[in-house]
Amino acid sequence: MPPLEKSQHTKAFKLRKSFATRKQEVAVIRSKFPTKIPVIIERYTREKYLPPLDKTKFLVPQELSLSQFVTIIRNRMSLMPSQAFYLLISNNGLASMSLTMAQVYKDHRDDDGFLYMTYASQEMFGDTPECLAKVERSAT
Amino acid sequence: MDAATLTYDTLRFGEFEDFPETAEPVWILGREFSALTEKDDILSDVSSRLWFTYRKNFPPIGGTGPTSDTGWGCMLRCGQMILGEALVCRHLGRDWRWVKGQKQREEYYSILNAFIDKKDSYYSIHQIAQMGVGEGKSIGQWYGPNTVAQVLKKLSVFDTWSRLAVHVAMDNTVVIEEIKRLCMPWLDFVGAACADTGLELNGCLEGACALAEEETALWRPLVLLIPLRLGLSDINEAYIETLKQCFMLPQSLGVIGGKPNSAHYFIGFVGEELIYLDPHTTQAAVEPCEDGQVPDDTYHCQHPPCRMHICELDPSIAVGFFCRTEDDFDDWCLRIRKLSCSKEGLPMFELVDSQPSHLINTDVLNLTPDFSDSDRLERFFDSEDEEFEILSL
Repeated sequence: MPPLEKSQHTKAFKLRKSFATRKQEVAVIRSKFPTKIPVIIERYTREKYLPPLDKTKFLVPQELSLSQFVTIIRNRMSLMPSQAFYLLISNNGLASMSLTMAQVYKDHRDDDGFLYMTYASQEMFGDTPECLAKVERSAT
Repeated sequence: MDAATLTYDTLRFGEFEDFPETAEPVWILGREFSALTEKDDILSDVSSRLWFTYRKNFPPIGGTGPTSDTGWGCMLRCGQMILGEALVCRHLGRDWRWVKGQKQREEYYSILNAFIDKKDSYYSIHQIAQMGVGEGKSIGQWYGPNTVAQVLKKLSVFDTWSRLAVHVAMDNTVVIEEIKRLCMPWLDFVGAACADTGLELNGCLEGACALAEEETALWRPLVLLIPLRLGLSDINEAYIETLKQCFMLPQSLGVIGGKPNSAHYFIGFVGEELIYLDPHTTQAAVEPCEDGQVPDDTYHCQHPPCRMHICELDPSIAVGFFCRTEDDFDDWCLRIRKLSCSKEGLPMFELVDSQPSHLINTDVLNLTPDFSDSDRLERFFDSEDEEFEILSL
């Protein structure tokens, strides 16, 4: 068997593993590390500016604040402080950065027991070249 | 009718739809209007905002670069519009109105001159595009709301006339202490002060004394920009009410964002529709007259403003606020706190008193993988395809 690619999974974690496998995985890890939160952090599929992370699965101390967690991820990606970075919880919302991981977990844990987070920067805005050509043509 | 108006009307929108006759309140940059009885006031307020659009035939950016920003400059223009609104609030006041063909106050022409498409205007397309290089954007590349916010923050330092304190709140968090330090740098903040602040304070004190007579000696007028991402591909509906609330605050500077690929400057809402100024019209660059006056017709949107459904909004935005005085800022904080307590809508950002300690002293946060834990873990996960990374405090 070829060695498994460690980074850069093309398929989302949830699609790679069955619900039962994921649930089992959480049960085992939670029994070993009851004070740590199992977190899945993935890059938004259409993200173009932030680098991929080499890990998807994290065990995070429950008393860690979201702000501290974001700082760890930001440092790991060597982002400038002025670069946009957002962690969206369960694919839709931003959470208060002062919440602890335990609080976020309590409100947003998935049925399989993982806490899912997606990171993304911001979209860029500009016209399509086609539109540009049209405007130029009719303006002259 | 000039070519630019023709292009705009015929190509993109056809006829401009008139403002809707509705009993629902219209909110524009912190002011409430009735669409039934105050239509003229609405249009007058909208046309008083600075409208920056694509331009062509301006001096080449960087001497040899583009002479038009059509197709790429829309977010840069939106940045100009939100900062232009801040300058209007700063120098003319929110109640100031533009009247077509009427000679305006001197400050108005100074504001307009700060945005004229030439290399030495404070906030020209030339300055914004070239300052963007430091943010990793080459000239002609598309910007996001955060990109233009970061660039405006850097450019504002050179605008000694306005003395604005532009703050870009990152990580959807607004830190009150950070803003107070920025707007009142001469105050001695105890606590997080490190050993080298002595030097910094001296420098700032000199500046404060030089401007002692002015109100800005007490508080540099604050432009607060908060870049956000309110969803991945679509805006999370839980934010819609909160977003509307932003336009209702008296400190509102509106929102820069857009629909996918098209940046807009959102100035308010009516019902479920956002009201915006659209930079997607190519007009000819304007040459200021020798006396400093500027032919200003093309810098004001004189047709009913565009509208779009709030759900069409791309989730990447930056929300802006202007606080002329410390009282304005305290009032803003109070209102934001009240909003975050109300059950309507999810807060878009968090307001905190001071910086979390791990951000002041980065050594405190030394969370490397815990190898003792990892060893323990591997025994249980020998057959797993991927391991957990364990973080410990």
